Amino acid sequence: MLPLSTLTPSSTETSERATAYVHPGEVFVSARSHAVTTILGSCVAVCLWDPTTRIGGLNHFLLPSFTGQGLASPRFGNVAIKELVAQLAQLGSQRHNLLAKIFGGACVLEAFRQRQHHLGMKNVEVARHLLECESIPLVSHDVGGQRGRKLIFHTDDGAAWVKTL
Amino acid sequence: MAARKILLVDDSETILQMEQMILAKEPYELFVARDGVEGVARALECSPDLILMDVVMPRMGGFEALRELRGNHLTSTVPVVMVTTKAEADSIETGYASGCSDYIVKPIDSMELIAKVRDLMGD
Repeated sequence: MLPLSTLTPSSTETSERATAYVHPGEVFVSARSHAVTTILGSCVAVCLWDPTTRIGGLNHFLLPSFTGQGLASPRFGNVAIKELVAQLAQLGSQRHNLLAKIFGGACVLEAFRQRQHHLGMKNVEVARHLLECESIPLVSHDVGGQRGRKLIFHTDDGAAWVKTL
Repeated sequence: MAARKILLVDDSETILQMEQMILAKEPYELFVARDGVEGVARALECSPDLILMDVVMPRMGGFEALRELRGNHLTSTVPVVMVTTKAEADSIETGYASGCSDYIVKPIDSMELIAKVRDLMGD
């Protein structure tokens, strides 16, 4: 596991990078150095990067799986992860180089946290399962718990910072 | 058994109608309020099991209303989901600092709303 800092990156660490904000249901990828911010409650962000090409990105999904009702959008974990992998490949990342980190999946209510299948945990489970299916190593995670998270992810080197909200 | 209650707080009649329409088939009793002041008052009256709270409203905004709710022992633990716009998303950090439970972004997606509501209601 790579170390996961809970500190906010210093201004020098972010100053050379462009910044972006990812809203729920969005996917962001870049071949340039970006510091990408998102805020997670029960939602999950899967962060992928290729350390060789320094291409990376993340998604932010709200629901575990698209089941055929409505539009198959990246609001769903199974769609969001496939979309992220596909967009990274389009930019030139090598599938076999990809590494992953997962964040989010909180359950804010004490009474429900004991349930194995609250929404946050379902989101985490689908992320783990699909990464395993895609043979992408999960090198770090910060999931579950009762608090929301602010995540900053660097697309080029995979560094991540989490602030518990 | 009495139906569990959800309080919808928004100054937009359209949003209130949409939330009511989406949640109409769910087994919850719905209450509405049209700004933060009314939202806090209604919460104290009806003791909701969950509150959906808009951010920008006249008289009292959602974050201020949330702080009022958290400061009152009668409403301090009621789950509150903030309903934001993309433009307000950056400020959701303030919502968490004020004690919100989760957030959703407009335009409201029915599946997402129902999933979050069911989750926070323990269903």
